[in-house]
Amino acid sequence: MAFEQLMEEYDAQRVRALAMGGPDKLAKRRAAGILNARERLDRLFDGGTFLESGLFGTSAFADDRASTPADGKITGFGRIRGREAAAVANDFTVKGASSSTTNMKKIGHVKRTATERGIPLIFLGESSGARLPDNMGARGMGSMLGLDPHQYLRSRESPWAAAALGLCYGSSTWYCCLADFNVMRKGAILAVSSSLLASLAMNDPVDPEELGGWRVHAEITGLADRVADSDEEAIDAIKTFLGYLPSHSNEPPPVATVPAGSGAQMEGIAALLPESRTQVYDMRKVLRAVVDRDSYFELKARFGKAGVTALARLGGQSVGLIANNPLFKGGALDADACQKITSFIVLCDSYNIPIVMFVDTPGFAIGVEAERKRAPAMIMNFMNALSLVTVPKLTVLVRKSYGQAYINMGGGRNSDEFVAWPTAEVSFMDPNYAVTVVFGLKPGDPGFDDAHAKMQRDSSVYDIASIYAVQDVIAPHHTRDYLIRMLDVHRLRRSNGVGKHLMAAWPTTC
Amino acid sequence: MAAIEIKSEITGTVWQVKKQPGDTVEEGDTLIVIESMKMEIPVITEDAGTVKEILVKEKDPVAEGQTVAIVED
Repeated sequence: MAFEQLMEEYDAQRVRALAMGGPDKLAKRRAAGILNARERLDRLFDGGTFLESGLFGTSAFADDRASTPADGKITGFGRIRGREAAAVANDFTVKGASSSTTNMKKIGHVKRTATERGIPLIFLGESSGARLPDNMGARGMGSMLGLDPHQYLRSRESPWAAAALGLCYGSSTWYCCLADFNVMRKGAILAVSSSLLASLAMNDPVDPEELGGWRVHAEITGLADRVADSDEEAIDAIKTFLGYLPSHSNEPPPVATVPAGSGAQMEGIAALLPESRTQVYDMRKVLRAVVDRDSYFELKARFGKAGVTALARLGGQSVGLIANNPLFKGGALDADACQKITSFIVLCDSYNIPIVMFVDTPGFAIGVEAERKRAPAMIMNFMNALSLVTVPKLTVLVRKSYGQAYINMGGGRNSDEFVAWPTAEVSFMDPNYAVTVVFGLKPGDPGFDDAHAKMQRDSSVYDIASIYAVQDVIAPHHTRDYLIRMLDVHRLRRSNGVGKHLMAAWPTTC
Repeated sequence: MAAIEIKSEITGTVWQVKKQPGDTVEEGDTLIVIESMKMEIPVITEDAGTVKEILVKEKDPVAEGQTVAIVED
């Protein structure tokens, strides 16, 4: 065959492979304002940098070869803001992007490459699950499932980010859960199995949004780190997230330039706190004021809201912020907030991101509901995670710190530096409750006032500073400068900014 | 238009009702203030919309997770 003919054949094969599920299906998506898999990759990667792997892959079954361009999962490499990354984009127009022998090989290849060469891996999820009838029957199962014992292993060698951009069942759901970051587009459904199958199995109609819509995962399960209104916004959130992270676990995160105007709100920061200790405020305003301008990137904002977890930058350096938010539950962490903080600690420690804590908590949430949600276990998981951290930990005590929560929120030697604002108060519990618990007295009872005075003794910030249990009392408006300088003091020089990653394989999927 | 149930995050007593049915609300607005743990804890809407119902009145006890208002977005 002449070379020209070979090239004609090559071009024709390429056109067929790039056609995806055909013009009708693609037009329907366009009409609905939903990007197709290749448009999503264009949005993700810098222009012209996508290097595809597996364009000519198709179903391994002869009858399906013509109808399975790229076998429904588009894989390859590209650059995000100049940095190399790998991606899997599910093409729902090809057999619902269902999992098959060929496309599982493609995913395995880019996953191995990302892990071994140290680049992030992005999953743009929208899939129906296992391909049928390929997987049906004992022989189908035996020849397609469980062949790779590392298929769903997560040990955080390099960052994974995922988006749920449509119906996500099977593999796209699993990867959203395994990823370090998961953004959900409104209208997407993330679930083990479809509402149709759930309805059939349970003999009861199930509403897809109730089964796995964005509200479920943003507010109840916490599986969604962010929610986006469109495919474009979701993909941009992935790029923003990766901007805080190193390309792999053996290097420090990239350093950004500090935007002009950073720190401009510091002079007035103390005014963000109310005068009365019985009133609340939004800790997120304090955090935004302290960090580099526009660098505050909150995760799981609608889940476990008494705790705040956010990536941000201080002096251009990535930091992980963990805070109590008195606006919700008075800042008393519940089981959900503990779980959210634990998984965030794992993220920061696994990717060499220093942790900065801001504390204002009356203690952990207590009561019947808290115990039933396994609060004691969640508190200890959080504590164990904090104890295993090997990146720098700095803690600022803004106002209250009580009980066990004092330790969990970086009190004592649980941070490298523990400093307090002059507004701080520390004790084991509210002195009124302590009098009642210890002496059985209530306010107004004879002897209550004497007992109360004993319980309230020595709880000012200078009492704790006098025994060096806080390293300093700092003026609120000095907080930003203090933290930037202390991050430099505590830089991991001996390991070039790399921690020990003792939690890299922790199964924290939420 | 979806009806969104606004729940109290905490057990306590209703101290103030800040919004009435028909009021327009923005994301982050306080609908009700609960007294709990000797603090004034706001019940906040995460979604903008219109208040459809306020289901509690001042001095009512509320339980964690109890729906205290309905907002339509």
